[in-house]
Amino acid sequence: MAEVRLEGVTKIFPGDVTAVAACDLIIPDGQFTVLVGPSGCGKSTTLRMIAGLETATSGTIAIGERIVDDVPPRDRDVAMVFQSYALYPHMNVEQNLRFPLERRRRTSFLKSLLSGTGRAARSAETVAIGKRIAAAATQLEIEDYLHRFPRELSGGQRQRVALGRALVRDPKVFLLDEPLSNLDAKLRIAMRAELRSLHRRLGATMIHVTHDQEEAMTLGDVLVVMKDGVIHQVGPPSEIYDRPADRFVASFVGTPPMNLIDGEVRDGRFFATSGVVLSPPAAIADGPAVLGVRPEDIRPTQDGGVAATAQSIERLGDRMDVVFDVSGTSMASRCEPSELEVGQSVAIAIDVAHVFDAGGCGARRSTRG
Amino acid sequence: MTPTHAPRGVLTHFLRHVPLILGAVLMLFPLWWMLVVSLETETRAGMAMLGGDVVQVWPEDPQWHNYADAMREVGSTPWIAFLDALANSIVVTVSVIVGTVLSCSLVGFAFARVRFRGRAGMFLLMLATMMLPAQVTMIPLFLLFRSMGWVDTLLPLIVPAFFGSAFNIFLYRQFIAGIPEALLEAGRLDGLGWLGLWWRIVLPMCTPVTAIVAVFSFIYTWNDFMSPLIYLHSESNYTLAIALNSFRTQYAGLEDVHLLMALSVVTMIPCILLFLAAQKQFIEGLGSGAVKG
Repeated sequence: MAEVRLEGVTKIFPGDVTAVAACDLIIPDGQFTVLVGPSGCGKSTTLRMIAGLETATSGTIAIGERIVDDVPPRDRDVAMVFQSYALYPHMNVEQNLRFPLERRRRTSFLKSLLSGTGRAARSAETVAIGKRIAAAATQLEIEDYLHRFPRELSGGQRQRVALGRALVRDPKVFLLDEPLSNLDAKLRIAMRAELRSLHRRLGATMIHVTHDQEEAMTLGDVLVVMKDGVIHQVGPPSEIYDRPADRFVASFVGTPPMNLIDGEVRDGRFFATSGVVLSPPAAIADGPAVLGVRPEDIRPTQDGGVAATAQSIERLGDRMDVVFDVSGTSMASRCEPSELEVGQSVAIAIDVAHVFDAGGCGARRSTRG
Repeated sequence: MTPTHAPRGVLTHFLRHVPLILGAVLMLFPLWWMLVVSLETETRAGMAMLGGDVVQVWPEDPQWHNYADAMREVGSTPWIAFLDALANSIVVTVSVIVGTVLSCSLVGFAFARVRFRGRAGMFLLMLATMMLPAQVTMIPLFLLFRSMGWVDTLLPLIVPAFFGSAFNIFLYRQFIAGIPEALLEAGRLDGLGWLGLWWRIVLPMCTPVTAIVAVFSFIYTWNDFMSPLIYLHSESNYTLAIALNSFRTQYAGLEDVHLLMALSVVTMIPCILLFLAAQKQFIEGLGSGAVKG
């Protein structure tokens, strides 16, 4: 197990494409960290740099106490699970699991030849390898198809074998590159739970990359939200959700996405560009701003509030998704089921509002009701 | 009578198969002729060569001993000359296949996966060598091998195969370019270097190409007449193709055409067997299932 540290890591691809820009990140030992962001945000590149499959243009990467910038992938003591599983098609499951261990043994075989250690040690090692394969197979419930070839397995089974191949190596860090994205929705949810419990059992450092914010929220101890090669926010899922650092994080996390309204704050009230005037629940400083309101923080109310008309309604049984028209500004809301009809006028109240700088990036000023 | 759609079905079937059958007949005719003549008596075989109307679909009295006679009578020493030629052919062919597969897959892998300066230019240059007819390089190559003292040894037939050939390298390169990058990255994480990746992952996955390259190399080398003719001078170094030729001149013409045909049949057997055995590999790929498709 080990901590992973990135200091000023930058990756510029040929053609002057900056994939990752001066990224600083500390991933504590034993933590399940999820790198999340839209495609092309640099999350996979970051992971591949940690694995050693890409070389950083500048900056330093350390795994544990060791700086690994010049260490080849095989010596970094990391295991990676690929999106496409990357199982060797000409080897059966058991051989796929054995391969990384055999490779290591071969290196140590040369060392043992040089140092003159005996055959007994080697046969003990063979037994140990067999035990590790058996243990991983049991843990992932793949014992029944150890002798099958990858082409004879279903997507979910291949996924388990790919995990098993990482597991047998007992690495310091697990790197998971969108490992669930090729599975169907049901299996993906089941595998999420398995990944969580695997992490609990192993207590290993795991770095998971995904573009799916829901997967990120359910899996991660800590989320690293990235866009255009820049880290926008690092924090536990609840913090990312409740206190987004900027407009991008606010809009990326949450379904349906947060309502974002451009405008200006004057005398503690928010004047939207469209002309609506809203009263945020707490006082904030004056100036141009973007008001962010999560759909679940908007509800119809009887006392006070802002006048709105229901534009569209989706009834989902336990809840109701309504789009309100507030003087020309559309605001999505998720509220309790009620008798509300399309075209009906109601008053709505905002429980929690976030106020961001007008640029959308930079410092956050958030207010809570 | 029950009305049926059969006549129309049969007709389509028939029309579809006629060109195929005609093609097959055209291909099989020389083989059949060779087989029949090889089983005829000396007189009837000679007459067949002169265009006499003697060849039957199958000889009335097949002369199976022609085969033993042919193998015995080739060259100057009974049996030994034939066995020498057979051994030489096997040595040359097997070496050429091994050399071609190893060198072409390695170079193809480098062209497909290793990023190095001048890769595209070198690949073009290599492809350009395909435009050179063999006759152009024949004399320079002969002079080169002579200066190395390799004339009248099997080396000029074997060694070039270990230095790749443009077309096979091209085949390997195209196939290897289709292998998912993730597999090679997984290999790197598992501790493989470039050579390890080639030997442990790429080459085993290239089975369909290797089958094609091996079969073509086999057929080409086994039947090659020109190179052995240029480089091999003593009878003990002859390959089967040259031994066959010596048979023909030895008996100056048409008298022993039945023996010549018998030996030709013997020479062809490995080619036919190999083709039948490798048919499956031609059709079936191994790559499926490696990654989510």
